[in-house]
Amino acid sequence: MKALKALSTSVGSKYLVALTGLSLVGFLTAHLAGNLLILLGPEKFNGYGHALISNPLVIPAELGLIGLLLLHIFKALRHVLLGRTARPQAYTRKVWAGAPSRKSWGSTTMLVSGIILLVFLVSHIATLKFGADYPSAEPGVRDLYRLVVEVFHSPGIVAFYVVAMVVIGLHLRHGISSAFQSLGLMTPGWTASILAIGLWLSVILAGGFALIPVWVYLFL
Amino acid sequence: MKVHLKVWRQTGPDATGRLVDYTAENIAPDMSFLEMLDSVNETLIARGEDPIAFDSDCREGICGTCGVMVDGRPHGPDSCTTVCQLHMRRYNDGDTIVIEPWQALAFPLIKDLVVDRGAFDTIIQAGGYTSVNTGGAPDANAILIPKTVADEAMDAAVCIGCGACVAACKNASAALFTSAKITQLSLLPQGQAEASTRVVEMVDAMDAAGFGGCSNEGECEAVCPKGISLKHIATMNREYRKAMFANR
Repeated sequence: MKALKALSTSVGSKYLVALTGLSLVGFLTAHLAGNLLILLGPEKFNGYGHALISNPLVIPAELGLIGLLLLHIFKALRHVLLGRTARPQAYTRKVWAGAPSRKSWGSTTMLVSGIILLVFLVSHIATLKFGADYPSAEPGVRDLYRLVVEVFHSPGIVAFYVVAMVVIGLHLRHGISSAFQSLGLMTPGWTASILAIGLWLSVILAGGFALIPVWVYLFL
Repeated sequence: MKVHLKVWRQTGPDATGRLVDYTAENIAPDMSFLEMLDSVNETLIARGEDPIAFDSDCREGICGTCGVMVDGRPHGPDSCTTVCQLHMRRYNDGDTIVIEPWQALAFPLIKDLVVDRGAFDTIIQAGGYTSVNTGGAPDANAILIPKTVADEAMDAAVCIGCGACVAACKNASAALFTSAKITQLSLLPQGQAEASTRVVEMVDAMDAAGFGGCSNEGECEAVCPKGISLKHIATMNREYRKAMFANR
């Protein structure tokens, strides 16, 4: 069987959504760990930022992330559109089935949360990565700390970031455990653990990221 | 007792459907839901009107022929229950009940509450079988299967093909139905010979029939009258992965 054909069926497409999604969760975990360095002061944070962007692998890594994101979006959108086509006539009355269904606000809003996150991502990169390039005391090192503190002293931006992190929490609340199911890894013995890990990881990631702008606004 | 109904009436596949109000009078609480519809139909026939078309056969919850959306849930409010096993004692006098057919591109509507579920047969024909030489009945103990494995296979095999999973799914996906058959055959020795082609062909048939993909929400499992588990969809996904890397 041809691999490309296999990856374009309803089952194969969801492998790609799952694999790209989990890879992006891996990125988010590393990104959060790095960002939390801001709590340790400007030297640590700017040093980390400098080490990151001066690494020759950063461009291929960024291109890789963009590729993962585009593939995730393409396959997920195709999945949603296929689902819409599959039910041309809507019900006049439809209720949630209740337990044991895993349907949640997260799972029903994946498309909307995904679109909000894309808008957030563009604004996030424009504000910080391509924001003001302040020089730090150390030559050649960007004072990213100063920019972050400046940006997060605007209550509007802080609110926007916190809302976006609630949205990412909702997206991951369904996404993480769903990915394991799509990959066929959700065996009966692991189901409860995977659902719990999915829930807690989404809470930790969303909470951790939301903490930074709030902390900066209040204390730095 | 008396109940008010809002029933989807559609004269044919290409006609425009709409909800029509009926009142079912003199309904005994011990009547099944379908007997209540029979009673309404008798009134309609007596008045010279077209009776409400709906599917049913065994009326004891084992054949999979019946199935309608009752107040937005396939087979009605009770879990692990077909609509023929739903009884009017579940309702109060004066309740209003909305009754609609399964809605899916792959299940074209024939009339009123009757849809064509032939797409399920197409999926089974694509690989939901084992190719064996017919002849004398094989010795019952020729292939030993552990009881636990036989039980697991049976849990998947209890699917009656009613289509409630498709009806409940926001994507009108047939993943639960298809995966139940794939799991059943993947657990048994007789299913091994065709394991790597079966899953691919059944998934292809499922996609070609116009069903959507699986979003892993599990509404299907919650409404399945036979309690088919979502774990079978994970098994299907796993079998598909094995087939992708199979040496053929």
